[in-house]
Amino acid sequence: MYDALVVEDLTKVFAKPAVDHLNLTVRAGELYALLGPNGAGKTTTLRMVAGLLKPTSGSIRVFGVDALADPSAAKQMIAWAPDEPMLYDKLTPMEYLEFVSGLWGVDPNDGRARAESLLRLLGLWDQRDQRCEAFSRGMKQKAALAGALIHEPRMLILDEPLTGLDAAVSRQVKDLLQERVKGGATVILTTHILEVAERMADRIGIIQAGRLLAEGTLTELRERAGEREGTLEDVFLELTGEGEAAPT
Amino acid sequence: MIGRPGSTIWLLGHEIRLSWRGLIGGRRGRVRLIVLGVLGVAFAIAGVPIALALRGFSMPIDTLSVLAADVGCVVIFTLMVSQTLAGAADALYARGDLDLLFSSPLAPRKTLTVRFAALAGSAFTAFALLASPLMIPLAVFGHWRWLALYPVLGALALAASGTGLALAVGLFALIGPRRTRAVAQILAAIIGAAFFLTSQIRTIFGERAESLWTQVADAAGDPRLRLPPLAAWPLRAVTGDPLPLAAMLIVGVSLFVGVTAWLSRRFAADAASAQGADTGRRRVARGVAGAFTGGVFASTLIKEFRLLARDIALLAQVLLRVLYLLPVTFLLLRNATGHQSWALPGGAAAITFMAGQVASSLTWITVSAEEAPELLQCAPAASATVRNAKLLAGLTPLALLLAIPLGVIVVAAPLTGIAATAGATAAAISAGLINAWYPTPGKRSDFLRRRRSGSLLMGLALFFVSLLIAATTALVAVGLPWALIPAVLAGAALLALRRSPARIAEALAANT
Repeated sequence: MYDALVVEDLTKVFAKPAVDHLNLTVRAGELYALLGPNGAGKTTTLRMVAGLLKPTSGSIRVFGVDALADPSAAKQMIAWAPDEPMLYDKLTPMEYLEFVSGLWGVDPNDGRARAESLLRLLGLWDQRDQRCEAFSRGMKQKAALAGALIHEPRMLILDEPLTGLDAAVSRQVKDLLQERVKGGATVILTTHILEVAERMADRIGIIQAGRLLAEGTLTELRERAGEREGTLEDVFLELTGEGEAAPT
Repeated sequence: MIGRPGSTIWLLGHEIRLSWRGLIGGRRGRVRLIVLGVLGVAFAIAGVPIALALRGFSMPIDTLSVLAADVGCVVIFTLMVSQTLAGAADALYARGDLDLLFSSPLAPRKTLTVRFAALAGSAFTAFALLASPLMIPLAVFGHWRWLALYPVLGALALAASGTGLALAVGLFALIGPRRTRAVAQILAAIIGAAFFLTSQIRTIFGERAESLWTQVADAAGDPRLRLPPLAAWPLRAVTGDPLPLAAMLIVGVSLFVGVTAWLSRRFAADAASAQGADTGRRRVARGVAGAFTGGVFASTLIKEFRLLARDIALLAQVLLRVLYLLPVTFLLLRNATGHQSWALPGGAAAITFMAGQVASSLTWITVSAEEAPELLQCAPAASATVRNAKLLAGLTPLALLLAIPLGVIVVAAPLTGIAATAGATAAAISAGLINAWYPTPGKRSDFLRRRRSGSLLMGLALFFVSLLIAATTALVAVGLPWALIPAVLAGAALLALRRSPARIAEALAANT
């Protein structure tokens, strides 16, 4: 059985390296949290995995498929949900899901059934025929999440999925992600809310300056940081050295 | 910054600084400034012989001059109102920093007075820049009093800004927040094109094709025409007569100050209630919900049709370009049915050229103005399939618009009709392809700004390819074999411009 994601020696250079010879493996069926300070290269890494950025060098394999050689096959298995929802203001959630289904070639009957199920699950069914332009940020985020899930991706990549959401919506999204993981999907997410990673993630990767600093379960990371009783925040600050700059 | 913080002058300085940085900001801004400077100097040099020729000329205050000045003032005022009305409607909804300003302790009236003064300023600047290459040499070579044109333009701009504000508030009261933006933008487009269409009214319906100025000259030649003395004031003001000049300034400033004082509180309240009101909170989409198609091409096409049909403001902006097609189409129709074959080739060429220009606008909206580009990039769909669906969606409205008039021409004058249909189709497809090969990603709201920010190469390419196809159309309509030359040149230009999907993707990635 293939790992969900294998990234080897991945490098992306803009003016300077944003991702620097990164090696990363995400197992199938796990929820993996990718953490790092601002500008560490998290989003750049995930955008390369999603096929939105071409790496300078390195390789990306998604369930055994070379994502650089056969991007279409890799994309078929992936859903990408950035922090800013990829929505059309003038479309309704139902129309948006129709469009996304078309892009991923979902069978029309399956698409219709899944759209109804997702919109009901996320509490958007009553708004299914209203244009997204009137939606709150949370509603837009939920509509975008429905779009990410409509083609039942094997791997879901989310960049800051909980930013700006209220407690209720945030809980809904977290429950949905955990449910997908239980159903066998792989979820990779970035977040600055370390409690979320601490409570939800099977494994955590910490990157800094485009390189993987540490990786493992929370217990493994605690051992690595020498913080046996510490929270993930303590571990993160210790490993990244960010805590040294903070006032005591 | 000049003035005491929070004062009107200080706020005005802030607006001017933002406008100036918007104009010259970044590399493009500097290039724009250099191009404007070079063009200005070139035109000013070209204006020198005219100024020398007019050195000893004294402007006669006769019927023709008076009428010409009056019509000129009305045309400029109308165009300015079109600009300020659109600006006022935008300020009601997409308010940018108005939230910040309204949340400050500054009086809303002051904030809005300054905002509308800035609108007047931008209307004034556009016309002043157009006039300067001639006005400066004229002033240097003896006609310094004619510099009074600038205060006259300022008075017209202030009056237009007040009128735009009054119209926006009136529309808001009359039809409510949800429709005001779209109606205001359509109205602004129609007002902007009104004089063009009025001047072409005889072209459309009459028997003679005359310009507005020919009609003015005809009217001036009518011995029964008696103009009231006040009619001469705009001309006298422009030529520096102090009393009419002062009167025009007083009228312009009074109208602006009066309207802003009277309506700014109301406008601020309207702006507050407009927030979110035009976003269709209870707007239920028409069409078949749940019409899942299962294909990339069909679902992209349906999505683009929906977005086009629902963006009334954008359609209003395209409408302005389509309006210019009307007189040409009517001229062609009239000549085709009247068998005045001499005018047919020119009309066919014009309709072909304009079809290319309108297609360029529509396909930019569908191809480049993608709201969720990453969604398409991360989908497993072939980019060529998505692009073709977007091109078809962009070209379909133009095809629907032209189908009936072109059909009538084909029946009435088959050769011209077929040439015009083929030419318009070729020009439209070429414009769409160039847009697809050289995408300039942007927001739909940037539709008007894109011409300033788009690549010069693409703009020139669109212009010359449309021109070559239009020339081919005219020559085919005449039945001349020379048609082959522009056709081959247009084909060669398209082949040279063609980009592979991989290169398009590379160019897009480089812009990311």
